[in-house]
Amino acid sequence: MISFDKVTKRFGSNLALCDVSFDCDAGTVHAITGENGAGKSTLMNLLAGLFPADSGEIRLRGKPVSPENPADARRLGISTIFQELTLLPNLTIAENLFLGREPIRRGTVDRAAMREQARSMMARLGSSMDVDAYCGDLSVADLHLVEIAKGVSVDADIFIFDEPTAALNAPEVEKLGELLATLKAAGKLVFYVSHRLEEIFRFCDRVSVLKDGLHVETRATQALTRDELVSLMVGRVLSKFFPARPARPDGAPVALSVDDLQVRDGGPTVSFDLRRGEIVGLAGLEGQGQRNIIRALSGLEPSVGGKVMKGSEAGPTPLGGDVVKTVLAGVGFVPEDRKTEGLYLPLSINENITLGMLRRLPVWQMVRGRHHVIAGLMRRLNIRSAGARQAVGELSGGNQQKVMIGRWLAAGIDVLLLEEPTRGVDVGAKAEIYGLLREFTNGGGAVLTVSSELLELLGLCDRILVVRRNEIVAELDGAQTSEEEVMRHALVGGAEDGGRADA
Amino acid sequence: MAGVPMPDLARKSRRTGLSPIVLALPLALFFLLCLSSGTFRSLENLANVNSQIAALMIASLGQGIVAISGGIDLSVGSVMSLTSAILVTADPAWGVPLALAMGVGVGLVNGFGVTLFRVHPLVMTLATMTFVQGVALLLHPVPGGAVPGYLRTLAVSQVAGLPAAFFWCAAAILAAWYLLGRSPFGLRTYAVGANPVSAGRNGIAVTRLKVACFVLCSLSAVVAGIFLTARVGAGDATMGNPYSLDTVTAMALGGVQLAGGTGSVLGIVAGVITLGLISNGMNLLGVSPFLRAALTGGLLLVAIGLQRREAIGA
Repeated sequence: MISFDKVTKRFGSNLALCDVSFDCDAGTVHAITGENGAGKSTLMNLLAGLFPADSGEIRLRGKPVSPENPADARRLGISTIFQELTLLPNLTIAENLFLGREPIRRGTVDRAAMREQARSMMARLGSSMDVDAYCGDLSVADLHLVEIAKGVSVDADIFIFDEPTAALNAPEVEKLGELLATLKAAGKLVFYVSHRLEEIFRFCDRVSVLKDGLHVETRATQALTRDELVSLMVGRVLSKFFPARPARPDGAPVALSVDDLQVRDGGPTVSFDLRRGEIVGLAGLEGQGQRNIIRALSGLEPSVGGKVMKGSEAGPTPLGGDVVKTVLAGVGFVPEDRKTEGLYLPLSINENITLGMLRRLPVWQMVRGRHHVIAGLMRRLNIRSAGARQAVGELSGGNQQKVMIGRWLAAGIDVLLLEEPTRGVDVGAKAEIYGLLREFTNGGGAVLTVSSELLELLGLCDRILVVRRNEIVAELDGAQTSEEEVMRHALVGGAEDGGRADA
Repeated sequence: MAGVPMPDLARKSRRTGLSPIVLALPLALFFLLCLSSGTFRSLENLANVNSQIAALMIASLGQGIVAISGGIDLSVGSVMSLTSAILVTADPAWGVPLALAMGVGVGLVNGFGVTLFRVHPLVMTLATMTFVQGVALLLHPVPGGAVPGYLRTLAVSQVAGLPAAFFWCAAAILAAWYLLGRSPFGLRTYAVGANPVSAGRNGIAVTRLKVACFVLCSLSAVVAGIFLTARVGAGDATMGNPYSLDTVTAMALGGVQLAGGTGSVLGIVAGVITLGLISNGMNLLGVSPFLRAALTGGLLLVAIGLQRREAIGA
C-alpha cells in the first residue's frame, strides 16, 4: 500500500533519513522502531505532511505522493496520532474531536451532532468521558485516549500511531490492542511507532528497524525474538539492560525518612525510609498517588501532613513544601516532563548544568566558566552533542535526560527523585541512564523513582513499594519479585478491599 | 448566556475567561452610579453613555478576535483616525469604500507581517500604527471638514426611542457573537490562540486564520472610525488615539487573556461597559481627569488581580 523508495531527509547538516526503502501492506500493523534519533518519527512525519522529503519517493498504491501539510495528508487518507498531544485545552472533548471538520447546520457548528458522534467515538475506546469536558481539565492518560479517538475517527486508510501508549495504563493499552485489531481487520495499514518491545510483539505483524537514519531490517515479528530485535535496534547485543544490584549492607544510613506523609486531605498516610545506596521504586496503576507522593517530597506539591527528614552527616534536617529548601538540603527532582518542568531548552548544555551549580552561590557572584567540570561530566554521562554550547532543545530525549541528571550531579545533591526516568528515551540511552543511577547510589546516593514501566522498576530497583489508592500496600524485594506479584498488589492490594465488587 | 449556573460558568471560564468579577463589575458600577448621581439615571445620559462607548465597543470586539487568536493590534486607533481623515477628504460616495479597503490593506499587512515574516504582533502593529497615523495627518492635518450627510443621519438619529448607537453596538455584538461563538471560524480561532502548532496539526490553516483575524480587527476599527467621525460631525486625524490602548484595557477588564485562547463576546461587552461607566461616572461626579486616569489604572489592577489567571496552551 505504501512504499518508501530511497527516502532521504536532512535537517541542517544532520542526516535524519538516508535512502530508506521498504514496503508496507494493507491489513497489517507495521511497527517502526529504533533508538531515539534513529529517524522513525521523521519518517512518519513525512507521511503526516509536516515536512517534505529531500529526495526519494513515497508511493501510495503505486502513485508518488508528498503531502504538504496535515490537512493534505488527511485528504490522502493518512491519519496521524501524534506523540505530542495536539488537543487544545480550551476546547471540549467533542470540539477537539471535530476541530477542522466541524459538522455545519444552517451556517453554525452543529453542537448536538458533534456531541452525539463524539460520544460514540469515545465509546469505541471503552470510555464514557463527558464529551463536554474541557481538555485542559483531563489527566494525561485521558488526553491520550481522546487523541487516539480523534485519529481513528478520520475516514482514512493509513493510521500512524506515534508512541501511543506512553501515558496509558494496562487496561487502556488492552483497549488499544483491540482497536488495532479492528483497523487491521478492516484492511487498514497501521504504523505503530514504539520502542516498547512487548507491544511490538503483541500488536504488530511486521517490524521495520531504523538506526541512525538507515533502514536496518523489515521482518515479520513472529520470525524474531526479543533479543534479536534489540540487537537490530542498537547494533549490539544488550545481554544486560540493567546494572547489577550490589549487595546492600544492612543498616545503611537513612537518606530520606518519610513519616505519615499525607498527600490528600482525609487520605491515607505513607511512611517509609530511603537508605543510602539503594534505588526504590513506587509502582502501581496510573493515578494511584505515586506521583503525588514524589511531588510532595520534592516540595512541588503541598502535603497535608506528615514529617519528611533528610539524613545527612550533620544530622537529620526537616523538609517540606518548599522546592528551594528541598534542593538546598540536597534533594533533586527529575520531572516526567523534562521539557517544560526541568530544562531550559533554548539554553546550552553548559548553561543548563551551570544553573544547577549556582544554587549555593549568592546571586551577585560572577558566574565563572566551569568548562572543565562540565566537560568531565559530559564525558562521564556520555552526552552525545555537537558540543557544550549546543542548545538542549536540539538534543534527543535520552541526551536531554542525561543533562537533567547531570545538572543535579554537578549540584552535588545526594538524593534523586525521578519521575519516569526513561520516558521518551531510546533503548541504548536507557541502559546508560540505569547505569548512571546505579553509579550514583554506589557512590552513596539514594534514588526514589516512579515509573509506569513495570519492567523498568523490576530491573532497576532494590525495593519496590506498591501504591494503591494513595497507600503503600506492599513492599517487595526488587531482585526477587515478579511482574505478576507487583500487579496483584497493585490491583487488589490492601486487605480490607478484598471483598469489594470493584476490586 | 445570562442565567448560566455558576459551576458551568467556572468550568467554561477556561475558554470564556468569564468570572463573577467580570460580570459583576459593570452591574455594580451601574447601581452605584444610579445611587450617587441623579443625572446618571436620566435617559439622556444613558443614551449618551451608549453613544460614548459605541466606537469603543465596535473596535474592542475586533481587538477581541485578534486577542483570542493570540495576537494584539495596536493599530486600531490609527486606523480609526485615518478613516476619519478619508471620510472628510474623499468624494462622499467613495469615502466608505475607500476606508474599508484601507482597513483590509492594513489588516493584511499586519497579518502577513505576523505570520509570514514572524514579527511579534506588538512590534508589527506598532509599526503600522505609526505609519497609518502619519498618513492620516498628511491627508488631513487640521481637524474639520464635512461628514457626508447620510452618515451623520445613521450615527445620530433615533429609532423607536433608541439612539442609533444602540443599533451599531447590537449589530457589532451580533456579528462577533456569531463569528466567535457559533461559526467554525470561531472555534478554530480559539484553537489557534491556545496552541498554533497543535491547531496546525489538526489541519487548520493557521496563517490564513491569523490574517483573517487581523483583517476583521482592522475592519471593525474602520467601522468604529466611521461611527465616531459621523457622531462628532467632523474629521480629525488624531481622533482614534486613545482607542489602541483602551481596547486593550477593555480586554483585560473583560477577562480576555492576551496570551490567546481565552475570551468571550459577553466578557468584551462587560469590559467595554465597565470602562465606559467609569469615565462617564467620574465625569458626572466631577472627578478631575488626572485623578480619573489614576483611578482607572488602579481599578484595572484590582479587576485583573481578582480574575482567574491561568495561562493556557502549551
